[in-house]
Amino acid sequence: MENRETNKTRKITIGHLYPDLLNLYGDRGNIACLMQRCIWRGIGAETVEFELNDEIDFSKLDIVLLGGGSDREQMIVCRKLKDIRQAFKDYVEDNGVVIAVCGGYQLLGKYYRTEEGMIEGLDLVDLYTEQGEGRLIGNIVLRSDLFETPVVGFENHGGRTFIGGNSPFGKVLHGYGNEENSGCEGVVYKNVIGTYLHGPLLPKNPQVCDWLIARALERKYGSGELEPLDDSQELEANRYIYERFVK
Amino acid sequence: MKLRRMAAVWAAKAAQAASVHIFHRQGVTWAGKIALRICPDILRELASQVRGDIFIVCGTNGKTTTNNMLCAALEAEGKKVVCNHTGSNMLNGVAAAFVLAAGWSGRLDADCACIEIDEASTRRVFPYFKPDYMVLTNLFRDQLDRYGEIDITMNILKEVMQSAPDMKVIVNGDDALSAFLAMDAGNPYITYGINEKVTDDSGVHEIREGRFCKKCGAPLRYEFYHYSQLGVYECTECDFRRPDIQYNASDIEVGDHLAFTVEGRRITADYRGFYNVYNILAAYTAARASGLELPHFNDMLAAFNPENGRMERFRVKETDITLNLAKNPAGFNQNISAVMQDETLKDVIIVINDNAQDGIDVSWLWDVDFDRFKEANVNSVTVSGIRCQDMRLRLKYVDIPSMLEADVEKAVCERVENGCGNLYVLVNYTALFSTRNVLKRLEEEK
Repeated sequence: MENRETNKTRKITIGHLYPDLLNLYGDRGNIACLMQRCIWRGIGAETVEFELNDEIDFSKLDIVLLGGGSDREQMIVCRKLKDIRQAFKDYVEDNGVVIAVCGGYQLLGKYYRTEEGMIEGLDLVDLYTEQGEGRLIGNIVLRSDLFETPVVGFENHGGRTFIGGNSPFGKVLHGYGNEENSGCEGVVYKNVIGTYLHGPLLPKNPQVCDWLIARALERKYGSGELEPLDDSQELEANRYIYERFVK
Repeated sequence: MKLRRMAAVWAAKAAQAASVHIFHRQGVTWAGKIALRICPDILRELASQVRGDIFIVCGTNGKTTTNNMLCAALEAEGKKVVCNHTGSNMLNGVAAAFVLAAGWSGRLDADCACIEIDEASTRRVFPYFKPDYMVLTNLFRDQLDRYGEIDITMNILKEVMQSAPDMKVIVNGDDALSAFLAMDAGNPYITYGINEKVTDDSGVHEIREGRFCKKCGAPLRYEFYHYSQLGVYECTECDFRRPDIQYNASDIEVGDHLAFTVEGRRITADYRGFYNVYNILAAYTAARASGLELPHFNDMLAAFNPENGRMERFRVKETDITLNLAKNPAGFNQNISAVMQDETLKDVIIVINDNAQDGIDVSWLWDVDFDRFKEANVNSVTVSGIRCQDMRLRLKYVDIPSMLEADVEKAVCERVENGCGNLYVLVNYTALFSTRNVLKRLEEEK
């Protein structure tokens, strides 16, 4: 209870990039989850939505969320990305926290090559994506080195992502992941998580949500300690998926 | 050929009868499948025997209601109509509608046909017949795991429209996506819509499709929204704009009943839900476009009982129960608006399944504005169905506590026992049939 007092002065700002374009598959759930889990702990939380032509001051952001969009919409975003690339890269190298989902994950890399053309990425993480035969769709369960609780979600992507020597977000226990046969899903680079998991990702994986919040607090205030919450409903929903598809 | 056709019709009828009696299911798609297996050309032959117009209804939401209403409107004017009433809208279901309507001789006696078709299935149905009219209700985000992005659905619909260049498209002009599609395909089109602002949707934060011009990619400017992306719009850069509306609904009343004026005629119906204005208007426009005067349209609406889980009412013991289908964010948000129009205290049960026909991805729950239940005079919320856990979490993150009971019958019985006597059951697609069966049985048991 004693960190109640310090909580009052702690606050994080979430930057939601281009929700007008990248808003497939319940990204709002990820924002709601980040916000509520701060608010329930008495940590101030604010979300700033950036539209395509807005200036982004990364020094004012503690967590950046880059969501998914259709290929067409991703193409529109990618034209804009060149303008923010350097500032975004500086933020990442300075341990800025990023959660990039689906299309957002693909945009972290060098490029996404589709039948219709090349979508140039942000080149924040050394990875690339190629369109494959058919889409990889279904429930997915991972074991991540970052957490004890498995990570559960839903994937739906036509791209196959190659992460080279980077660490994956997790090992695939059920589902596809980065490509059909790699056995790996997503990427973790510094405080960046890139993943195909939506569903949305964070509500059924409070451990991932808290990891993001903790990293952001650590970077900003030097300590990422978090008061525990009653996660029984979250964990029950997580366990349901795990048991249905893995056990 | 005739014998083969007869055999197909007989087998399909037998299959349907057997499945109804033995399995207590409607058996429609099974019947269609068998008929097509025996006589692959049966759909082409029977469709060609329809004497007058063939209407098809496509679009994300409102297909079944619009199609059944159009059928009822035509019947009210004395037409004999073939219709896939149950909403079986893939190739087998479409074939079944024709086959089961045929006589034992294998011939069809019908003036017109009203057929709803799943958008992705249009490609499989169009080779068999070219409709005279396609009603396009709207395009919303739905089952992304099955259909992919809306762009893919639009490409399919454009392809089939162009394969039937004489087919007239009856399009909701308030939907920028549908309107663009009708213009882009090059088919003749007829528009319906609502020019006046009806609702205050400032409390709604739903994700809207069609924020960008499909023609040039620039942002669209909206004068106002009715709901979702339906509204009055124009492109900020190119010449794309909302088309002139030929069948405009004005002086709209939305509440415990609906009323509006079109072509100087006052239309009234004893339903709730703003979206039903669009359904009625679509059916009206299609029937009028085909040249009918529709003197019996209001009588038809007064007698129209969808009996298909769209705002269907039941009474169990002392509890009034309203069952309504809600299978995507646009539909669910409209459902919540309809619940809010009932200002009395109510219990709510939400049933969410993730079977193949529902879409196995339940992320869309997070795109629904459930927080509006806080202003809806709700006594309690119970979550049920296969993915009740996801639903409970969804509500938790807008600070709405809920009871969890995976079994629908138990959930309903508990609320009938302990609830406030006014119960809304909101269900997604596969939950509809099982829930409806439970409610019908409970109603009869009393």
